[in-house]
Amino acid sequence: MSTPPLSTTPTPASSSSPFPFPPEYSFPPFFTRQTNLTTHHAQLTKWSALVLAYARHHRILKLSLSPNSPATSTRMPPKDDDQAKQEIDTSELFHNARLNRQLAARDVRAVIDFLRKDGRAEYVAGTSSAGTDGEGSGSGGEGDMAWVYWRTPEEWAALVEGWVDATGQKGSVLTVYELVEGEGTKGAEFHGLDQELLLKALGVLVKRGKAQVFGQEDSQGVKFF
Amino acid sequence: MSRKGVGLAAFDRSRLTSAQYASHGSTLRSTNAQALETQLAVFRSLLQQFAQTHAKDIRSNPTFRAQFARMCAAIGVDPLASSSQSGSGAGGSSSIWAQLLGRSVNDFYFELAVRVVEVCGETRGENGGLIELRKLRERIMRGRLEGASEITEDDILRAVGTLKPLGSAYSVIKVGSKPYIRSVPKELNTDQSAVLEAAQVLGYVSVSMLMVNLGWMRARSQTALEDLVGEGMLWVDRQSAEWEYWSPGFMLENQDFTGTTG
Repeated sequence: MSTPPLSTTPTPASSSSPFPFPPEYSFPPFFTRQTNLTTHHAQLTKWSALVLAYARHHRILKLSLSPNSPATSTRMPPKDDDQAKQEIDTSELFHNARLNRQLAARDVRAVIDFLRKDGRAEYVAGTSSAGTDGEGSGSGGEGDMAWVYWRTPEEWAALVEGWVDATGQKGSVLTVYELVEGEGTKGAEFHGLDQELLLKALGVLVKRGKAQVFGQEDSQGVKFF
Repeated sequence: MSRKGVGLAAFDRSRLTSAQYASHGSTLRSTNAQALETQLAVFRSLLQQFAQTHAKDIRSNPTFRAQFARMCAAIGVDPLASSSQSGSGAGGSSSIWAQLLGRSVNDFYFELAVRVVEVCGETRGENGGLIELRKLRERIMRGRLEGASEITEDDILRAVGTLKPLGSAYSVIKVGSKPYIRSVPKELNTDQSAVLEAAQVLGYVSVSMLMVNLGWMRARSQTALEDLVGEGMLWVDRQSAEWEYWSPGFMLENQDFTGTTG
Protein backbone atom coordinates (compact mmCIF):
# COMPACT_ATOMS: atom_id res chain seq x y z
CA MET A 1 0.00 0.00 0.00
CA SER A 2 2.69 2.47 0.95
CA THR A 3 4.90 2.07 -2.09
CA PRO A 4 3.76 4.47 -4.74
CA PRO A 5 2.75 2.70 -7.92
CA LEU A 6 4.23 5.50 -9.95
CA SER A 7 4.99 4.53 -13.50
CA THR A 8 4.74 0.84 -12.81
CA THR A 9 2.67 0.51 -15.91
CA PRO A 10 4.35 1.40 -19.17
CA THR A 11 3.26 4.82 -20.28
CA PRO A 12 0.93 4.74 -23.24
CA ALA A 13 2.51 5.46 -26.55
CA SER A 14 2.20 9.06 -27.58
CA SER A 15 -1.11 9.73 -29.21
CA SER A 16 0.37 10.45 -32.60
CA SER A 17 1.09 6.78 -33.18
CA PRO A 18 -1.92 4.98 -34.59
CA PHE A 19 -3.56 2.31 -32.51
CA PRO A 20 -2.63 -1.17 -33.68
CA PHE A 21 -6.02 -2.73 -34.19
CA PRO A 22 -6.39 -6.44 -33.39
CA PRO A 23 -7.15 -8.91 -36.18
CA GLU A 24 -10.84 -9.12 -35.32
CA TYR A 25 -11.20 -5.46 -36.31
CA SER A 26 -10.61 -6.60 -39.89
CA PHE A 27 -13.13 -9.43 -39.60
CA PRO A 28 -16.36 -8.18 -41.19
CA PRO A 29 -18.85 -10.13 -39.03
CA PHE A 30 -17.24 -8.57 -35.97
CA PHE A 31 -19.46 -5.55 -36.70
CA THR A 32 -22.70 -7.54 -36.84
CA ARG A 33 -24.38 -8.73 -33.69
CA GLN A 34 -23.99 -12.52 -33.66
CA THR A 35 -27.12 -14.56 -33.18
CA ASN A 36 -25.57 -17.48 -31.35
CA LEU A 37 -25.39 -16.59 -27.67
CA THR A 38 -21.98 -18.13 -27.06
CA THR A 39 -20.58 -16.46 -30.13
CA HIS A 40 -22.16 -13.19 -29.07
CA HIS A 41 -20.51 -13.45 -25.69
CA ALA A 42 -17.13 -14.05 -27.33
CA GLN A 43 -17.84 -11.06 -29.56
CA LEU A 44 -18.63 -8.81 -26.59
CA THR A 45 -15.50 -9.96 -24.80
CA LYS A 46 -13.39 -9.05 -27.79
CA TRP A 47 -15.13 -5.72 -28.26
CA SER A 48 -14.69 -4.67 -24.66
CA ALA A 49 -11.02 -5.64 -24.74
CA LEU A 50 -10.66 -3.60 -27.91
CA VAL A 51 -12.44 -0.55 -26.46
CA LEU A 52 -10.31 -0.63 -23.32
CA ALA A 53 -7.06 -1.06 -25.23
CA TYR A 54 -8.03 1.73 -27.60
CA ALA A 55 -8.93 4.07 -24.76
CA ARG A 56 -5.72 3.26 -22.93
CA HIS A 57 -3.66 3.90 -26.03
CA HIS A 58 -5.15 7.33 -26.65
CA ARG A 59 -5.71 8.03 -22.95
CA ILE A 60 -9.40 8.53 -23.65
CA LEU A 61 -11.56 9.27 -20.65
CA LYS A 62 -14.94 10.01 -22.15
CA LEU A 63 -15.69 8.00 -25.24
CA SER A 64 -18.21 9.12 -27.79
CA LEU A 65 -20.53 6.28 -28.65
CA SER A 66 -21.38 7.57 -32.06
CA PRO A 67 -20.00 5.56 -34.95
CA ASN A 68 -20.42 8.54 -37.24
CA SER A 69 -17.64 10.98 -37.85
CA PRO A 70 -16.79 13.16 -36.06
CA ALA A 71 -17.17 11.30 -32.81
CA THR A 72 -15.62 13.68 -30.36
CA SER A 73 -14.18 11.97 -27.33
CA THR A 74 -12.16 13.61 -24.61
CA ARG A 75 -8.86 12.35 -23.38
CA MET A 76 -6.07 13.39 -21.10
CA PRO A 77 -3.06 14.85 -22.88
CA PRO A 78 -0.06 12.62 -23.36
CA LYS A 79 2.60 13.03 -20.72
CA ASP A 80 5.21 14.49 -23.00
CA ASP A 81 2.83 16.97 -24.56
CA ASP A 82 0.93 18.96 -22.00
CA GLN A 83 -0.73 21.26 -24.45
CA ALA A 84 -2.07 18.61 -26.81
CA LYS A 85 -5.66 18.76 -27.82
CA GLN A 86 -7.98 17.07 -25.41
CA GLU A 87 -10.47 16.19 -28.05
CA ILE A 88 -10.02 13.33 -30.41
CA ASP A 89 -12.14 11.86 -33.17
CA THR A 90 -12.74 8.24 -32.30
CA SER A 91 -15.17 7.33 -35.04
CA GLU A 92 -12.69 4.75 -36.34
CA LEU A 93 -13.24 2.61 -33.27
CA PHE A 94 -16.77 1.55 -34.14
CA HIS A 95 -16.52 2.21 -37.85
CA ASN A 96 -13.99 0.41 -40.00
CA ALA A 97 -14.02 2.61 -43.08
CA ARG A 98 -11.76 0.28 -45.02
CA LEU A 99 -14.20 -2.59 -44.64
CA ASN A 100 -17.21 -0.29 -44.80
CA ARG A 101 -18.54 -1.93 -41.66
CA GLN A 102 -19.79 -0.27 -38.53
CA LEU A 103 -21.18 -1.38 -35.23
CA ALA A 104 -24.78 -0.31 -34.81
CA ALA A 105 -25.61 2.07 -31.96
CA ARG A 106 -27.58 -0.66 -30.21
CA ASP A 107 -24.58 -2.97 -30.30
CA VAL A 108 -22.23 -0.25 -29.11
CA ARG A 109 -24.48 0.08 -26.08
CA ALA A 110 -24.34 -3.66 -25.57
CA VAL A 111 -20.54 -3.40 -25.43
CA ILE A 112 -20.68 -0.52 -22.96
CA ASP A 113 -23.20 -2.41 -20.84
CA PHE A 114 -20.88 -5.40 -20.90
CA LEU A 115 -18.04 -3.17 -19.67
CA ARG A 116 -20.28 -1.66 -17.03
CA LYS A 117 -20.83 -5.07 -15.50
CA ASP A 118 -17.08 -5.22 -14.99
CA GLY A 119 -16.98 -1.72 -13.56
CA ARG A 120 -14.98 -0.62 -16.58
CA ALA A 121 -17.44 1.86 -18.01
CA GLU A 122 -20.23 4.19 -17.01
CA TYR A 123 -22.56 6.40 -18.98
CA VAL A 124 -21.74 10.06 -18.59
CA ALA A 125 -24.57 11.56 -16.63
CA GLY A 126 -26.60 14.30 -18.20
CA THR A 127 -25.64 13.89 -21.82
CA SER A 128 -28.86 12.20 -22.80
CA SER A 129 -31.80 10.19 -21.59
CA ALA A 130 -29.55 7.18 -21.14
CA GLY A 131 -27.44 8.97 -18.60
CA THR A 132 -29.33 7.52 -15.70
CA ASP A 133 -28.23 4.20 -14.38
CA GLY A 134 -31.28 2.55 -15.91
CA GLU A 135 -31.36 0.22 -18.82
CA GLY A 136 -29.11 2.41 -20.87
CA SER A 137 -30.45 1.07 -24.11
CA GLY A 138 -32.84 3.90 -24.79
CA SER A 139 -32.79 6.18 -27.79
CA GLY A 140 -29.28 6.44 -29.15
CA GLY A 141 -28.73 10.16 -29.24
CA GLU A 142 -25.76 11.63 -31.09
CA GLY A 143 -24.12 13.11 -28.06
CA ASP A 144 -23.97 9.97 -25.99
CA MET A 145 -20.79 9.55 -24.08
CA ALA A 146 -19.43 6.97 -21.72
CA TRP A 147 -16.61 6.96 -19.25
CA VAL A 148 -14.21 4.23 -20.23
CA TYR A 149 -12.21 3.12 -17.25
CA TRP A 150 -8.92 1.72 -18.46
CA ARG A 151 -8.17 2.76 -14.92
CA THR A 152 -11.13 2.56 -12.58
CA PRO A 153 -11.73 5.35 -10.05
CA GLU A 154 -10.32 2.95 -7.44
CA GLU A 155 -7.13 2.57 -9.45
CA TRP A 156 -6.84 6.33 -9.90
CA ALA A 157 -7.41 6.71 -6.18
CA ALA A 158 -4.54 4.33 -5.48
CA LEU A 159 -2.29 6.39 -7.74
CA VAL A 160 -3.23 9.61 -5.96
CA GLU A 161 -2.70 7.97 -2.61
CA GLY A 162 0.68 6.68 -3.69
CA TRP A 163 1.68 10.13 -4.87
CA VAL A 164 0.55 11.68 -1.60
CA ASP A 165 2.62 9.16 0.33
CA ALA A 166 5.66 9.56 -1.87
CA THR A 167 5.69 13.34 -1.72
CA GLY A 168 4.86 13.61 1.95
CA GLN A 169 1.66 15.58 1.49
CA LYS A 170 -0.25 13.82 4.22
CA GLY A 171 -2.11 16.35 6.28
CA SER A 172 -1.76 19.09 3.73
CA VAL A 173 -4.54 20.74 1.80
CA LEU A 174 -4.53 20.88 -1.96
CA THR A 175 -7.03 22.19 -4.45
CA VAL A 176 -8.41 19.86 -7.01
CA TYR A 177 -7.09 22.20 -9.68
CA GLU A 178 -3.61 21.89 -8.21
CA LEU A 179 -3.78 18.15 -8.32
CA VAL A 180 -4.76 18.06 -11.96
CA GLU A 181 -2.98 21.05 -13.44
CA GLY A 182 -0.40 22.10 -10.88
CA GLU A 183 3.34 22.03 -11.38
CA GLY A 184 3.65 19.72 -8.42
CA THR A 185 1.94 16.80 -10.04
CA LYS A 186 3.74 17.06 -13.36
CA GLY A 187 4.90 13.61 -14.27
CA ALA A 188 2.39 11.94 -12.00
CA GLU A 189 0.07 9.53 -13.75
CA PHE A 190 -3.02 11.48 -12.91
CA HIS A 191 -1.70 14.84 -14.09
CA GLY A 192 -4.15 16.17 -16.64
CA LEU A 193 -6.97 13.94 -15.49
CA ASP A 194 -10.52 15.13 -15.93
CA GLN A 195 -11.61 16.91 -12.75
CA GLU A 196 -14.88 15.04 -12.60
CA LEU A 197 -13.10 11.72 -12.74
CA LEU A 198 -10.55 12.88 -10.17
CA LEU A 199 -13.41 13.75 -7.85
CA LYS A 200 -14.80 10.28 -8.30
CA ALA A 201 -11.40 8.90 -7.33
CA LEU A 202 -11.17 11.22 -4.35
CA GLY A 203 -14.63 10.02 -3.38
CA VAL A 204 -13.17 6.56 -3.03
CA LEU A 205 -10.50 7.90 -0.69
CA VAL A 206 -13.12 9.81 1.28
CA LYS A 207 -15.08 6.63 1.80
CA ARG A 208 -11.99 4.93 3.13
CA GLY A 209 -11.38 7.84 5.48
CA LYS A 210 -8.16 8.76 3.71
CA ALA A 211 -9.23 12.17 2.50
CA GLN A 212 -11.76 14.88 2.92
CA VAL A 213 -13.18 16.99 0.14
CA PHE A 214 -14.67 20.40 0.80
CA GLY A 215 -15.49 23.65 -0.95
CA GLN A 216 -17.73 24.74 -3.76
CA GLU A 217 -18.07 23.68 -7.38
CA ASP A 218 -15.14 25.57 -8.80
CA SER A 219 -12.81 25.78 -5.88
CA GLN A 220 -12.82 22.41 -4.30
CA GLY A 221 -10.04 21.41 -2.00
CA VAL A 222 -8.95 18.14 -0.53
CA LYS A 223 -7.12 17.17 2.59
CA PHE A 224 -5.32 13.88 2.85
CA PHE A 225 -4.91 11.88 6.03
CA MET B 1 9.01 -96.19 -35.08
CA SER B 2 9.94 -98.34 -37.96
CA ARG B 3 8.04 -101.23 -36.67
CA LYS B 4 4.53 -101.10 -35.45
CA GLY B 5 4.54 -102.39 -31.95
CA VAL B 6 2.05 -104.98 -31.05
CA GLY B 7 0.94 -106.03 -27.67
CA LEU B 8 0.47 -104.11 -24.45
CA ALA B 9 4.12 -102.91 -24.26
CA ALA B 10 3.50 -100.74 -27.32
CA PHE B 11 1.17 -98.52 -25.31
CA ASP B 12 3.85 -98.01 -22.69
CA ARG B 13 6.42 -97.16 -25.32
CA SER B 14 4.24 -94.60 -27.07
CA ARG B 15 3.46 -92.95 -23.75
CA LEU B 16 7.17 -92.81 -23.04
CA THR B 17 8.06 -91.23 -26.37
CA SER B 18 5.37 -88.63 -26.13
CA ALA B 19 6.59 -87.77 -22.64
CA GLN B 20 10.11 -87.38 -24.01
CA TYR B 21 8.89 -85.17 -26.82
CA ALA B 22 7.00 -83.06 -24.34
CA SER B 23 9.97 -82.58 -22.05
CA HIS B 24 12.22 -81.80 -24.97
CA GLY B 25 9.70 -79.32 -26.24
CA SER B 26 9.47 -77.56 -22.93
CA THR B 27 13.27 -77.24 -22.67
CA LEU B 28 13.33 -75.78 -26.15
CA ARG B 29 10.58 -73.36 -25.23
CA SER B 30 12.29 -72.26 -22.07
CA THR B 31 15.63 -71.69 -23.80
CA ASN B 32 13.80 -69.76 -26.47
CA ALA B 33 12.05 -67.70 -23.86
CA GLN B 34 15.32 -67.09 -22.07
CA ALA B 35 16.97 -65.98 -25.27
CA LEU B 36 14.06 -63.65 -25.97
CA GLU B 37 14.19 -62.33 -22.46
CA THR B 38 17.86 -61.52 -22.73
CA GLN B 39 17.23 -59.96 -26.11
CA LEU B 40 14.46 -57.85 -24.63
CA ALA B 41 16.61 -56.89 -21.69
CA VAL B 42 19.42 -55.87 -24.00
CA PHE B 43 16.98 -54.02 -26.20
CA ARG B 44 15.46 -52.27 -23.25
CA SER B 45 18.77 -51.20 -21.82
CA LEU B 46 19.90 -50.02 -25.22
CA LEU B 47 16.71 -48.06 -25.67
CA GLN B 48 17.12 -46.66 -22.22
CA GLN B 49 20.64 -45.60 -23.08
CA PHE B 50 19.44 -44.12 -26.28
CA ALA B 51 16.62 -42.25 -24.62
CA GLN B 52 18.92 -41.00 -21.91
CA THR B 53 21.65 -39.80 -24.22
CA HIS B 54 19.16 -38.21 -26.52
CA ALA B 55 16.57 -37.04 -24.02
CA LYS B 56 17.50 -33.47 -24.67
CA ASP B 57 17.27 -33.92 -28.40
CA ILE B 58 13.95 -35.68 -28.09
CA ARG B 59 12.64 -32.81 -26.12
CA SER B 60 14.07 -29.94 -28.08
CA ASN B 61 14.36 -31.12 -31.64
CA PRO B 62 11.00 -31.64 -33.32
CA THR B 63 12.37 -33.63 -36.25
CA PHE B 64 14.28 -35.93 -33.96
CA ARG B 65 11.23 -36.34 -31.77
CA ALA B 66 9.09 -37.29 -34.74
CA GLN B 67 11.73 -39.80 -35.88
CA PHE B 68 11.91 -41.30 -32.42
CA ALA B 69 8.15 -41.62 -32.22
CA ARG B 70 8.12 -43.17 -35.68
CA MET B 71 10.81 -45.66 -34.67
CA CYS B 72 8.83 -46.65 -31.61
CA ALA B 73 5.77 -47.11 -33.77
CA ALA B 74 7.74 -49.21 -36.26
CA ILE B 75 8.84 -51.69 -33.60
CA GLY B 76 5.32 -51.86 -32.31
CA VAL B 77 5.45 -49.82 -29.15
CA ASP B 78 3.82 -46.49 -28.57
CA PRO B 79 5.50 -44.55 -25.78
CA LEU B 80 2.39 -42.50 -25.27
CA ALA B 81 -0.19 -45.25 -25.34
CA SER B 82 1.72 -47.36 -22.86
CA SER B 83 1.95 -44.52 -20.43
CA SER B 84 -1.58 -43.26 -20.72
CA GLN B 85 -2.94 -46.73 -20.07
CA SER B 86 -1.20 -47.00 -16.77
CA GLY B 87 -3.13 -44.79 -14.41
CA SER B 88 -1.22 -41.61 -14.91
CA GLY B 89 -2.77 -40.22 -11.78
CA ALA B 90 -0.85 -42.62 -9.57
CA GLY B 91 2.50 -40.94 -9.30
CA GLY B 92 5.04 -43.69 -8.66
CA SER B 93 3.75 -46.67 -10.58
CA SER B 94 4.35 -45.57 -14.10
CA SER B 95 4.80 -47.52 -17.28
CA ILE B 96 8.04 -49.01 -18.53
CA TRP B 97 8.24 -46.20 -21.02
CA ALA B 98 7.81 -43.50 -18.50
CA GLN B 99 10.62 -45.09 -16.47
CA LEU B 100 12.75 -45.56 -19.53
CA LEU B 101 12.46 -42.01 -20.73
CA GLY B 102 12.46 -40.44 -17.32
CA ARG B 103 9.00 -39.17 -18.20
CA SER B 104 10.52 -36.44 -20.31
CA VAL B 105 8.81 -37.35 -23.55
CA ASN B 106 5.53 -38.07 -21.85
CA ASP B 107 5.70 -34.88 -19.90
CA PHE B 108 6.35 -32.98 -23.08
CA TYR B 109 3.21 -34.32 -24.69
CA PHE B 110 1.11 -34.04 -21.57
CA GLU B 111 2.10 -30.44 -21.11
CA LEU B 112 1.33 -29.78 -24.73
CA ALA B 113 -2.02 -31.49 -24.33
CA VAL B 114 -2.83 -29.15 -21.47
CA ARG B 115 -2.08 -26.19 -23.71
CA VAL B 116 -4.27 -27.70 -26.43
CA VAL B 117 -7.14 -27.99 -23.98
CA GLU B 118 -6.56 -24.42 -22.81
CA VAL B 119 -6.53 -22.93 -26.28
CA CYS B 120 -9.58 -24.94 -27.35
CA GLY B 121 -11.39 -23.74 -24.25
CA GLU B 122 -10.39 -20.12 -24.79
CA THR B 123 -11.49 -20.08 -28.39
CA ARG B 124 -14.57 -22.26 -28.11
CA GLY B 125 -16.80 -19.22 -27.79
CA GLU B 126 -15.66 -17.78 -31.07
CA ASN B 127 -15.29 -20.92 -33.16
CA GLY B 128 -17.84 -23.33 -31.76
CA GLY B 129 -15.19 -25.81 -30.71
CA LEU B 130 -13.61 -26.38 -34.09
CA ILE B 131 -10.13 -25.04 -34.69
CA GLU B 132 -7.77 -25.60 -37.54
CA LEU B 133 -4.63 -27.44 -36.53
CA ARG B 134 -2.44 -24.72 -38.01
CA LYS B 135 -4.25 -22.01 -36.04
CA LEU B 136 -4.02 -24.04 -32.88
CA ARG B 137 -0.28 -24.36 -33.34
CA GLU B 138 0.07 -20.64 -34.01
CA ARG B 139 -1.77 -19.80 -30.84
CA ILE B 140 0.25 -22.24 -28.77
CA MET B 141 3.49 -20.90 -30.20
CA ARG B 142 2.40 -17.34 -29.46
CA GLY B 143 1.84 -18.23 -25.83
CA ARG B 144 5.29 -19.71 -25.40
CA LEU B 145 8.28 -17.89 -24.11
CA GLU B 146 11.10 -16.78 -26.34
CA GLY B 147 13.55 -19.56 -26.92
CA ALA B 148 11.16 -22.33 -26.02
CA SER B 149 11.51 -25.39 -28.17
CA GLU B 150 9.53 -25.48 -31.34
CA ILE B 151 6.34 -27.47 -31.68
CA THR B 152 5.21 -29.14 -34.87
CA GLU B 153 1.71 -30.03 -35.95
CA ASP B 154 2.74 -33.64 -35.57
CA ASP B 155 3.45 -33.02 -31.89
CA ILE B 156 0.02 -31.50 -31.43
CA LEU B 157 -1.65 -34.49 -33.08
CA ARG B 158 0.18 -36.79 -30.66
CA ALA B 159 -0.77 -34.58 -27.75
CA VAL B 160 -4.41 -34.74 -28.82
CA GLY B 161 -3.96 -38.52 -28.92
CA THR B 162 -2.98 -38.50 -25.26
CA LEU B 163 -6.36 -36.97 -24.46
CA LYS B 164 -8.17 -40.07 -25.73
CA PRO B 165 -8.63 -41.65 -22.29
CA LEU B 166 -10.58 -38.58 -21.21
CA GLY B 167 -13.44 -39.39 -23.54
CA SER B 168 -14.40 -38.63 -27.07
CA ALA B 169 -14.46 -34.86 -26.81
CA TYR B 170 -11.08 -34.16 -28.36
CA SER B 171 -10.47 -35.55 -31.78
CA VAL B 172 -8.95 -34.77 -35.13
CA ILE B 173 -11.26 -34.41 -38.09
CA LYS B 174 -10.61 -33.50 -41.68
CA VAL B 175 -12.50 -30.74 -43.38
CA GLY B 176 -11.47 -30.63 -46.99
CA SER B 177 -7.77 -31.24 -46.93
CA LYS B 178 -7.08 -29.52 -43.63
CA PRO B 179 -6.98 -31.20 -40.25
CA TYR B 180 -9.04 -29.61 -37.49
CA ILE B 181 -9.14 -30.25 -33.78
CA ARG B 182 -12.65 -30.68 -32.54
CA SER B 183 -13.20 -30.07 -28.84
CA VAL B 184 -16.94 -30.61 -28.63
CA PRO B 185 -18.46 -34.06 -28.98
CA LYS B 186 -20.41 -33.35 -32.11
CA GLU B 187 -20.45 -34.80 -35.58
CA LEU B 188 -20.63 -32.69 -38.69
CA ASN B 189 -22.97 -33.89 -41.38
CA THR B 190 -21.77 -33.94 -44.96
CA ASP B 191 -23.49 -30.69 -45.87
CA GLN B 192 -21.86 -28.88 -42.95
CA SER B 193 -18.45 -30.26 -43.85
CA ALA B 194 -18.96 -29.14 -47.43
CA VAL B 195 -19.86 -25.63 -46.30
CA LEU B 196 -16.86 -25.37 -43.98
CA GLU B 197 -14.63 -26.62 -46.76
CA ALA B 198 -16.03 -24.00 -49.12
CA ALA B 199 -15.47 -21.32 -46.50
CA GLN B 200 -11.78 -22.16 -46.40
CA VAL B 201 -11.27 -20.64 -49.83
CA LEU B 202 -12.25 -17.01 -49.29
CA GLY B 203 -12.94 -17.09 -45.58
CA TYR B 204 -16.67 -16.78 -46.12
CA VAL B 205 -19.57 -18.22 -48.06
CA SER B 206 -23.05 -17.04 -48.92
CA VAL B 207 -26.24 -18.75 -49.93
CA SER B 208 -25.79 -17.91 -53.59
CA MET B 209 -22.17 -19.05 -53.55
CA LEU B 210 -23.28 -22.44 -52.28
CA MET B 211 -26.06 -22.61 -54.84
CA VAL B 212 -23.69 -21.85 -57.72
CA ASN B 213 -20.69 -23.87 -56.61
CA LEU B 214 -22.30 -26.90 -55.00
CA GLY B 215 -25.48 -26.90 -57.04
CA TRP B 216 -27.65 -26.85 -53.93
CA MET B 217 -31.18 -25.55 -53.63
CA ARG B 218 -31.64 -22.33 -51.70
CA ALA B 219 -33.34 -24.03 -48.76
CA ARG B 220 -30.56 -26.57 -48.39
CA SER B 221 -27.86 -23.89 -48.45
CA GLN B 222 -29.77 -21.77 -45.99
CA THR B 223 -30.28 -24.66 -43.60
CA ALA B 224 -26.65 -25.75 -43.63
CA LEU B 225 -25.48 -22.19 -43.02
CA GLU B 226 -27.95 -21.55 -40.25
CA ASP B 227 -27.04 -24.83 -38.58
CA LEU B 228 -23.41 -23.84 -38.54
CA VAL B 229 -24.19 -20.37 -37.21
CA GLY B 230 -26.30 -22.06 -34.55
CA GLU B 231 -23.33 -24.21 -33.59
CA GLY B 232 -21.16 -21.12 -33.38
CA MET B 233 -18.90 -22.35 -36.16
CA LEU B 234 -19.64 -19.49 -38.54
CA TRP B 235 -20.13 -15.77 -37.94
CA VAL B 236 -22.72 -13.86 -39.91
CA ASP B 237 -22.01 -10.51 -41.56
CA ARG B 238 -25.22 -8.68 -42.40
CA GLN B 239 -23.67 -5.51 -43.69
CA SER B 240 -22.82 -6.87 -47.11
CA ALA B 241 -25.12 -6.95 -50.12
CA GLU B 242 -25.86 -10.59 -49.45
CA TRP B 243 -25.34 -11.98 -45.96
CA GLU B 244 -21.92 -13.53 -45.71
CA TYR B 245 -21.03 -16.34 -43.36
CA TRP B 246 -17.46 -16.14 -42.16
CA SER B 247 -15.17 -18.77 -40.77
CA PRO B 248 -13.82 -17.53 -37.41
CA GLY B 249 -10.43 -18.95 -38.33
CA PHE B 250 -9.97 -15.95 -40.58
CA MET B 251 -9.98 -13.66 -37.58
CA LEU B 252 -6.42 -14.68 -36.84
CA GLU B 253 -5.40 -14.49 -40.45
CA ASN B 254 -3.23 -11.71 -41.74
CA GLN B 255 -5.19 -8.68 -42.59
CA ASP B 256 -4.52 -8.64 -46.31
CA PHE B 257 -7.63 -10.63 -47.16
CA THR B 258 -9.77 -7.66 -46.26
CA GLY B 259 -8.95 -6.11 -49.59
CA THR B 260 -11.18 -8.64 -51.32
CA THR B 261 -14.36 -7.51 -49.65
CA GLY B 262 -16.40 -4.37 -49.36
